[in-house]
Amino acid sequence: MTRVLDEVVAMLVEVVGEDFLLDLEVGPDTTFNDDLALESIEFVALAEKLQLRYGPAIDFAAFIADMDLDQILAMSVGDLVAHIESRLSPAAV
Amino acid sequence: MNGRSSKARRVRVPSLLGDLPAPDGRVAGREADSGRRRFLFVVPPLTGHVNPTVAVASELSRRGHRVAWAGHTPTLEGLLKPGSKIYPAEDEAFAAHVEQARRHWTTLRGPAALKFLWDGFIIPLGHAMMPGVQTAIERFRPDVVVCDQQTLAGPVAARLHDLPWATSATTSAEFTRPLAGMPLVEEWVRDQIGEFQLDHGIEDLLDLRFSDHLVLVFSTAALIGDTSIFPDHFAFVGPVLGRPPGNDFPWEWLDEDRPSVLVSLGTLNGPAGERFFQVAAEAVKDMDVQAVFVTPPGTLPDPPPNLLVRGHVPQLELLERMSAVITHGGHNTVVEALANGLPLVVAPIRDDQPVIARQVVASGAGLTVRFARVRAEELREALHRVLTEEAFRSAADRVRRSFAEAGGAGQAADRLEKLT
Repeated sequence: MTRVLDEVVAMLVEVVGEDFLLDLEVGPDTTFNDDLALESIEFVALAEKLQLRYGPAIDFAAFIADMDLDQILAMSVGDLVAHIESRLSPAAV
Repeated sequence: MNGRSSKARRVRVPSLLGDLPAPDGRVAGREADSGRRRFLFVVPPLTGHVNPTVAVASELSRRGHRVAWAGHTPTLEGLLKPGSKIYPAEDEAFAAHVEQARRHWTTLRGPAALKFLWDGFIIPLGHAMMPGVQTAIERFRPDVVVCDQQTLAGPVAARLHDLPWATSATTSAEFTRPLAGMPLVEEWVRDQIGEFQLDHGIEDLLDLRFSDHLVLVFSTAALIGDTSIFPDHFAFVGPVLGRPPGNDFPWEWLDEDRPSVLVSLGTLNGPAGERFFQVAAEAVKDMDVQAVFVTPPGTLPDPPPNLLVRGHVPQLELLERMSAVITHGGHNTVVEALANGLPLVVAPIRDDQPVIARQVVASGAGLTVRFARVRAEELREALHRVLTEEAFRSAADRVRRSFAEAGGAGQAADRLEKLT
């Protein structure tokens, strides 16, 4: 596990609520739609946490702006982590 | 496709010098000079999409015009006034398929629900309705076709018959461009609409969600946000309240001196809906409110004394006695609440509901909470705030006034008359 993955998982647990994740181990393959069924309010809360932690370079809206419907449907925690890692300068990681 | 009747009913290019009297003294091209026109409403088998057309149609009838519907006959019979003219445009085999599709739909949320809305509902419904809508146009010979935003057969058949057509937008979500942040998804939706037209022989493609003659939107800028960007043929007429008369209600249960809240989630939300009602019951049980929950009584077998569970309610009359509303954000319920100046707590589930929830928050008239994972304290705090903080009530009242000024069914009828 990378540090970014650990941090993103922690944010998701906080946004969703630990008690709702008893049957689910959140990892890189966890999908936002099928597995987490993240609601719009929760997406907004996650996006705020990402900006707070990683700064303006990590813009969740920009991340999904290039995706088609099937990509959005299949979007996983690992996809988001890879996006964040690619945007952060090597020094910051 | 473009049969005999299209020639007979072709809209004429208006004469520069006005209409010359025809030999028998009638104004050419019109059904005598009585000013009476014929309006065909093309609707999907969805209650919330049919109800507003009932109010608009009854205003048109009151003015002496003739109205008819094309759609799923059994659904329409339950919602229209007795004796309304219905042209069947959905056979029972397809209706059974739709019923199944709806059950599947309610298991989906977010982008999966959007994909299914188009792939599994709007497009197949459009194809299935085409023959019936064509026949309805040939038999009823409307002057104008009023098309629900989700029935693509309406605009396509109207265009094939060269008839003016109006969009009936029973939710205002499309007017805030909810997919603007996902351009590829927005394009995918437009592609679905384009292919549908090509399948039926139309090559001059339009976005069928927005008529180029008239778009009726049953809301106003006070809720939607800036509407000045839209051309003049977009008419923001405010809500038209077309719900059929409601069921009995034990009015004596309501204490005039206590705040009252209506909790309603629409229909068919399965176990997640049941959980929401249980959490909501937990949230209100120690509050000084009376709550009316619209859900089958089995959902809450042992409700606290300040909670009344009813399978159905006369919603329009009941709203006049309420102080706030908790809802999933169905457009009709939201605008009906706001038409009474009631603040809202919105727990959006799918489709346009998150968009409508954002409109409510942006207008200042309410708050939004989670649906599937909402907690009792989250809901209690949101309800407490909308009931006690004056800002929510005054924002809701601002929307109420804007709705009242928008003209509703009368304005919709004025705009429809101008199309002929």
